[in-house]
Amino acid sequence: MAVAVRRPAARRPSSRRPSARRVIGSEQFSGWAFVTPGVVIILLFGAVPIVWSAVMSFQRNNLLSPSTPFVGTANYRKMIHDPVVAQAIQHTLVYTVLFVPGTMLVGLFLAVAMNRKIRFISFYRTAAYATMAVSTISEAIVFIWLFDPSYGVVNYFLSAFGIPPQQFLNSPSEALYVIVIMTIWGWTGFSVVIYLAALQGVPQQLIEAASIDGAGPWQAFRRVTLPLLSPASLFLAVWLTINALQLFDEVYLSTQGGPLNATTVLVYYLYIQAFQQFNFGYASAIAYFLFLVIIVVTVIQFRVGRRFTYYRS
Amino acid sequence: MAVFSKAPLAGLLAVLTGATVLAACGTDSTSSGGGGGGTTIQIWEGYTQVEAKAFAHLVSQYEATHPGQKVNTLYVNSDNTLQKVLTAVRGGSPPDIAYLYGSWAPNVAEIPSVVNLTQVVKRPEVNWNDFWTGERAVATVDGKVIGIPALVDNLAVVYNKTLFAKAGLPVPGPDWTWQDFVADAKKLTNPAIKQYGTAYVTPGTEDTVWHWEPLLWEAGGQLLTPDNKKAAFDSPAGLASLNTLRQMAVTDKSMYLDPSDSAYGNLFNSGKIGMLVTGPWDLATFDNVKYGVQVMPAYPGTSGAHQTISGPDNWVVFNNGSAKTAAAEQFLIWLTNATQDTYFAVKTGDLPIRQSVGSDASVVQQMNTAVPGMATFIANLGNVKQARPQIPQYPKISTVLGTMIVSVLLGKSQPQAALSAAAQQVNQILAAG
Repeated sequence: MAVAVRRPAARRPSSRRPSARRVIGSEQFSGWAFVTPGVVIILLFGAVPIVWSAVMSFQRNNLLSPSTPFVGTANYRKMIHDPVVAQAIQHTLVYTVLFVPGTMLVGLFLAVAMNRKIRFISFYRTAAYATMAVSTISEAIVFIWLFDPSYGVVNYFLSAFGIPPQQFLNSPSEALYVIVIMTIWGWTGFSVVIYLAALQGVPQQLIEAASIDGAGPWQAFRRVTLPLLSPASLFLAVWLTINALQLFDEVYLSTQGGPLNATTVLVYYLYIQAFQQFNFGYASAIAYFLFLVIIVVTVIQFRVGRRFTYYRS
Repeated sequence: MAVFSKAPLAGLLAVLTGATVLAACGTDSTSSGGGGGGTTIQIWEGYTQVEAKAFAHLVSQYEATHPGQKVNTLYVNSDNTLQKVLTAVRGGSPPDIAYLYGSWAPNVAEIPSVVNLTQVVKRPEVNWNDFWTGERAVATVDGKVIGIPALVDNLAVVYNKTLFAKAGLPVPGPDWTWQDFVADAKKLTNPAIKQYGTAYVTPGTEDTVWHWEPLLWEAGGQLLTPDNKKAAFDSPAGLASLNTLRQMAVTDKSMYLDPSDSAYGNLFNSGKIGMLVTGPWDLATFDNVKYGVQVMPAYPGTSGAHQTISGPDNWVVFNNGSAKTAAAEQFLIWLTNATQDTYFAVKTGDLPIRQSVGSDASVVQQMNTAVPGMATFIANLGNVKQARPQIPQYPKISTVLGTMIVSVLLGKSQPQAALSAAAQQVNQILAAG
């Protein structure tokens, strides 16, 4: 396009230094002015604690006494020799590996099932999202009773199939899986909504074209719909992973890390260290370790995800 | 597109600085209250419902009878008070008084602005020795008094009278033993109708641990050596106490294990559990069953006799200048004297924090009529003979003990092996200081 563009004002030597009035009137200034309150709050309640906990991670600090000796990397070295940290990392990873794909698959299945014109569809959609609206405490109480070894409905159903009663939250080998199921249930509504929205954006003519070319419903889903959902899948994978690595509420409310540390995940352990045992320095070190893990995992997800993600432009 | 450029950033910085200055002004102007004629003190408490009502009544009564004195109360969930106090101390604006759990006392003692009340409690009007032994022990850290007792409770056995009658068992007497308890629990257990003899909380937290500590003491054991330098629970008494738990949880399967710490109360109230070791706070919720209360059983042939554990909480004073400290002390002395204690106990059903009130027959009778079984819990305060070790390492030790108890209850380790492993870890914690 060969339209004569007026030269930008800044190129003119006479106005190298923009006048105050011009700055105030500029879009950049008003933009910053609008976001300043938010930025201040984020800096105050986000950046300051982040920096402070970085400092604390190099101190022996119980927040109680004024003496906070600098201990170098002692807190980080202590993590290597702490068997509970190793357990917590293992539990966090097992949980994440099960929770993220689990939530995405259940969400995708429900979203596809609800992406059609059937009766009461808005009721179903609301019902699916309701799991997000239920508070975690109610969710935890309901699941504690569902999975109660003696009185729970789950064992009752298992017995109908001849399976002996399980100990669930009382069993170190089963408790973590109960928490996986509990949180998948809680997060399904979220992934349903994301997938439903993405499904609305899949052009019908592409699927029709595929079926004219001889693709069956499964092939059309696998080759057309699924690739078009990939941006949503990448978003969910990243978002759910970050949340999974930060698991806390459900553990705190149902097992408190037990039995025998079987559900102690990183964030729960750092909470114990900080607020039960007053090792704020050590807890900060664990928090920073988790922060690094999250960054690394997220970068990998974006790198790998880019290869499989298809953006329509 | 260059979204970021220097000039607007400078403006932003100016705004930020302005905000900080404004915030600082705000703090200054609010904290310079009081002085002059009267004194205003700020108190953080976690009272709800009847307790909140009774406390508000006492505060207004205090203000009416003490002209110039003003008490501002702020509700803070007691579970979070220490966290909030820590933040406030760091910010330079702690409350004048805070309600803090007794289990935090050794850690609270490390906060520099906590007022040493050792001289205050020697005043005759305090009548310090009228507080129960367990309360005084928890308010004192290394010989320094860091709080005035705010609440006291203890553990006793609450049993379901109907289930005892159905099983043809006599109800527990005051001289019963842990052998009786185990035998009763076994007879009260019926897998067909999912009925258990007793229950235990198994998250492995301090709630798990403090239910076990009286067993250790009753069997004649100690948690640590008297100088708090080494573990002492790896002993015949420790073994006896864990064997008792193992017998019920693993061998007889007469014990319902509650991993969430939230189910046992409902189950007892639904008539599914025969006996529960619990405190007075649960009684009011057991409105569906006919229950009785008995002291904890004993181990015959030991020096321990009948004991129990108490989890007293403290009013802790923070230093905001001598005028406020004096006003805070004056308020606490008034609040915890016998007259106010009687009012609060009768209104709320909280156990009397003073022995003189606890031995007042009319108070006991009123409380026992309102909530049956209270009389036993009040009398049981006399069985509080020991307290948990008052050392800052206790939270870490508690974690080790929690794991030890849960591993025995779940049948994952034998009592002796669990004791040895835990003792070794506790020794390491104590050696590390």
